[in-house]
Amino acid sequence: MSSSMAERGTAPLVEVCNLEKRFPVQRGLFGRGVGQVHAVDGVSFRIAASETLGLVGESGCGKSTAGRTLLRLLEPSGGEIHFRGEEITALNAQAMLPYRQRMQMIHQDPYASLNPRMTAGEIVGEPLTIHGVGLRAERRERVAQLFDRVGLRPEQMHAYPHEFSGGQRQRIGIARALALNPALIVCDEPVSALDVSIQAQIINLLTDLQEEYGLSYLFVAHDLAVVEHISHRVAVMYLGRIVELTDRSTLFEAPLHPYTEALLSAVPVPRVSARRRKRVILAGDVPSPVNRPTGCHFHTRCLYAHARCRAEAPALREVSEGHLVACHLHDAGPKLPLAKPA
Amino acid sequence: MNELVSTDAGALASAVSPDIDTILEIDDLQTHFRSPGGIVRAVDGVSYSVRRGETLCVVGESGCGKSVTALSILRLITSPPGRIAGGEIRFEGRNLLALSEAEMERIRGNEISMIFQEPMTSLNPLYTVGRQIAEAIALHQGLPRREAMAKAVDMLRRVAIPDAENRARAYPHQLSGGMRQRVMIAMALSCNPKVLIADEPTTALDVTIQAQILALIREQQETLGTAVVLITHDMGVVAETADRVVVMYAGKKVEEAKVADLFEQPAHPYTRGLLGSIPDMAGAARSLRRPRLTEIRGTVPSLARLPPGCSFAPRCAFATPICQQAVPPLEQHRPGHWAACWNAERVLEGSAAA
Repeated sequence: MSSSMAERGTAPLVEVCNLEKRFPVQRGLFGRGVGQVHAVDGVSFRIAASETLGLVGESGCGKSTAGRTLLRLLEPSGGEIHFRGEEITALNAQAMLPYRQRMQMIHQDPYASLNPRMTAGEIVGEPLTIHGVGLRAERRERVAQLFDRVGLRPEQMHAYPHEFSGGQRQRIGIARALALNPALIVCDEPVSALDVSIQAQIINLLTDLQEEYGLSYLFVAHDLAVVEHISHRVAVMYLGRIVELTDRSTLFEAPLHPYTEALLSAVPVPRVSARRRKRVILAGDVPSPVNRPTGCHFHTRCLYAHARCRAEAPALREVSEGHLVACHLHDAGPKLPLAKPA
Repeated sequence: MNELVSTDAGALASAVSPDIDTILEIDDLQTHFRSPGGIVRAVDGVSYSVRRGETLCVVGESGCGKSVTALSILRLITSPPGRIAGGEIRFEGRNLLALSEAEMERIRGNEISMIFQEPMTSLNPLYTVGRQIAEAIALHQGLPRREAMAKAVDMLRRVAIPDAENRARAYPHQLSGGMRQRVMIAMALSCNPKVLIADEPTTALDVTIQAQILALIREQQETLGTAVVLITHDMGVVAETADRVVVMYAGKKVEEAKVADLFEQPAHPYTRGLLGSIPDMAGAARSLRRPRLTEIRGTVPSLARLPPGCSFAPRCAFATPICQQAVPPLEQHRPGHWAACWNAERVLEGSAAA
């Protein structure tokens, strides 16, 4: 298991420790607080330079909130965020500015995230203007360079977002994210709104850009095949918590968490020969994040749950080198195949 | 399916071979929409057929006409701006396009049912889900209200909704996305339809729920012999559910084949490109360096501004001069394997070598 962390240098670019984000649930005319949604519930991970960490899970598991909280687009309710060793959790807006340049975001819906009244050139150049980078002519030069790099034609700088197709709009979003030479880009479902034939173009572009500029990605997505393709390591989230985190090939070949096992087995494989494989089909839905189960969040759907799982939440522990899992089944070291304890 | 290679350009009609088991036949369908820029041919001469108990998958990207074809079957095209401009849709030999609206009412939801991608838009928010299912049963089977309600609860149980008696009293917004989709399926299956049309039934759902829903459809099909037309863009879903596959691009059928033939040896460059552009989880995990994904260059063309000749030609790696000049006819290249491509033989050979 040649962990990609080791190859890419051990000092992480970003590290989050016990990150939490809670939202109040309000009801009625005067917004009486009636509870809290624990969207992100004590999440910890690191991303090295030039590394892609995939963050997967089903809708409502908190993966997008975790990405936004990491960038401090949402204020964390608890925990710490470190960027190149500096803690940035509580910095004020002014002190955050230099960090904001280094951390950018690409959104799922490229149409909703582009201002319809600005030309594509203005959109891509806006971060340069806001951060006062260079003179006007230099900025124009930089925008032209970015257009070329992401595969847009120079004359398209004067067109408005509605004149572009979905894939081209995503290229505009990528060019804007690149404008300030960031070190980290949080990609929030960057290809899920695109047609299949366009997805490959964007995935290849993101891979090329990473190699060229040494970018780190936090790649948030629900499509496991895409995550598998682009990530070096992958974290699986369920109901606000990371349940498993390891390098890509270990996760996809020998998952240790029962949820990861079920998730992988549920993905339809584009090969007819795959029809005969044994599948794990989970019963029921993801429980509500307002009213979470006791103990392990997954015990209500887990095929291997036993008494302890209902009472005690398993901690995320390293059970073998670089392989973290939160499951009581592996307390005495990793155990495969997964089975209910006798 | 004994006839061999046919090179007859007018072979469109025989693509839908008159088969004793055929329950639904779409024959040279034309569905057009009026737009400020002129007539948009959303469906331009599409033919396919479905047999009893069979699953036919219709694949293609947004705007290829796969959903409009399905809506045309049930005559659910809003007019204006839409209009079924030509062709026939035969259900058990009867042309649905020639029926009166009253006759069509008896077929819709009763003999042919449809499930939509977004269940929230097809459920009435003002009525409980139980009442909505019961109404369909009462209408089509003439059962008294109490019996219809009991059958509705029974249907909810059959689609694995826990605590069905109580859930029947819930309003759509009180249910999760997966639950609502199951309610839609319960409603669609409540009258034991002979044909079920499912338009992206799992696209809005998480994978673990998707697996449940697909298993449910398969189970219903096995017990009742329902023919299923499954419309999707997900090649994984196709590989796991289809018997036969129709591939659409820019309003036309570009390929049709048995599922194994399509995946093993695609005959149309578009199908070949689609299959190459999806990351293959199981394949890639074993190699250390991930192969680059095959890109289909360019973008899906606007139906209002289609290029002359083959619509796929501007994006096609196999294109030759004739592709820009003439629309390729749909021809049978292997038994049961049809493609509309001037270079299909070359593509087939390339696919076999790959």
